[in-house]
Amino acid sequence: MNSVSQGVSQGRRRTVINREYLQKRVRSLLAHGSVLTLVLIMLLPLFYLVMMSFKTSTEIASDPLGLPSSLYWGNYMKALSSMGYVRSVLNSLGITLSVIVLVVLAGAMAAYPLARLHNRISRTIVMIMALGLATPNFVTITPIYVIFRDLGLLDSYLGIVLAFTALKLPLAVFFYTSFIAAIPMELEEAARLDDCSNWQIFWHIIRPLLTPVTATLSLFVMIMVWNDFVYPLLLLTDKDKLTVMIAVYKFVGNTGIDPTKLFPAAVLGSLPLLLLFAAFQRQILSGATAGAVK
Amino acid sequence: MRARYSLYLFTLPALAVLFLFFIHPIILTADMSFTSFKGIGESKDIGWRNYERIVSRDRYLDAIWITLFYTVIVVPALTVTGLFFAAILHRLPAIRNFSRAALYTPAMMSFVVIGYVWQFLYSPLNGGINVALRDLGLGAFEQNWLGNPDIALFSVAFVQVWMFTGFTCAIFLAGFAGIPEEIGEAGRLEGATSWQRFRYLELPLLGPSITVSVILTTIGTLKTFELPFILTNGGPDGATRMLSIEIIDNLFGQYKFGFASALSIIMLIIVLAVAFVQNKVLRDRELSS
Repeated sequence: MNSVSQGVSQGRRRTVINREYLQKRVRSLLAHGSVLTLVLIMLLPLFYLVMMSFKTSTEIASDPLGLPSSLYWGNYMKALSSMGYVRSVLNSLGITLSVIVLVVLAGAMAAYPLARLHNRISRTIVMIMALGLATPNFVTITPIYVIFRDLGLLDSYLGIVLAFTALKLPLAVFFYTSFIAAIPMELEEAARLDDCSNWQIFWHIIRPLLTPVTATLSLFVMIMVWNDFVYPLLLLTDKDKLTVMIAVYKFVGNTGIDPTKLFPAAVLGSLPLLLLFAAFQRQILSGATAGAVK
Repeated sequence: MRARYSLYLFTLPALAVLFLFFIHPIILTADMSFTSFKGIGESKDIGWRNYERIVSRDRYLDAIWITLFYTVIVVPALTVTGLFFAAILHRLPAIRNFSRAALYTPAMMSFVVIGYVWQFLYSPLNGGINVALRDLGLGAFEQNWLGNPDIALFSVAFVQVWMFTGFTCAIFLAGFAGIPEEIGEAGRLEGATSWQRFRYLELPLLGPSITVSVILTTIGTLKTFELPFILTNGGPDGATRMLSIEIIDNLFGQYKFGFASALSIIMLIIVLAVAFVQNKVLRDRELSS
């Protein structure tokens, strides 16, 4: 008798637990599902971009939101053959990598004393860097154009690399300063007792420790330089020196835009960076939030 | 310790580049802003005439106003959307990383590409948005999104918010990750709802993240150029003609180097003043809360 009632109440408890568990599961599934849907809605413009690039001009006119009836590669063929894509990708890569090398080297070097010495000089230099971080490039674009013209640097790779380097250096200095400040002093002091020069200490002790932050910074600089529009638009005019984004802009134009040119060019222009993002998503996102954590 | 001053030699390469291509140009800009320099020939000193022109013409005051108004729309919107997604994704670890990366994707892309895509989405006849509204039976809401001076600025602002929601969301998610687990746990034991936990426990602790996010998005938004340049080129009827568009137009449309320089100096003063005030106000608020 006793054991029977015990069994019944246990069974009831189990169904109660089951129902609660089930309710919880359903609610959690609904929450995940609706948030995922919301995130995918945010991505709709990008689906639209890719979808449009595969449609013929008739399909775009007759059914602007529909899926393409088949994967039509003709737009891509046209874009690839006439926008100078490969050349512009190589230009962008060359410019971007040069900027990264200069920014990383000069930035890490400048950050070392700024992280170790705290006096009026270092505070002044940090102030200059902060000013550089906040100043819109519009403020310097006019004189840079004039200086470049007078020095013959317009339309040269060297000129645009230097202009970008100056633009991105302050960011690099801040990245490295906070990172080096967190490196314990003991290593350096031991080396100093062994009569190592400042340069030897920097090169053999500090520099190898900077690899992770260098990776993040490089990705960051790469994204910004690759996507930048104002500098290459104003400083480069030679068709053989255009960067990817300017090639896209020149190919598409600004009035009477032809969608069968625009969409494949936009996809091609973004593709290298999106592949990079897919591969290094974690590092890029940690770089984006590096300032916030500090 | 004295010998360590030689360490400052390490800053020379960076300082040289910055002097040549940042500090020297700023001085030149300030210099040129008092001239009528046209790019070639002699530059004539005209005193404060460029600045007088800026403050006495509606056109330029409007450009300053539009730049500020645009920032006042975009920054709070970005803070709210970023917080919204971060608060939700913080509670759903299973889809957090995927969603964070997905939302961040537009911020990885170039303004040029994004501008072009949205120009098509916004186009009045066969544009994606109007067609979608029609298909959903909401044809009454169709708009000439970029052609109507009353809404063009909001349409541009919407694109910027869409583009950078993933950026502010990533900043806030890092902020959430820094909140000790016990705090949320304690709230849950006390029977606080999800909203109450957000409002009274998490939000006050996100102060530093909010400061960073607001300052970064403000500086970025005040500089906005490419989106209105591609989407509207300042139109319709000057409704989206920001300071940046005015500068480039004076510079490379009309070769008024002197006047463009004066506009640039105004822009610099605005950006620095806003950044300074924001930094002060937000840090004070953080300390007092």
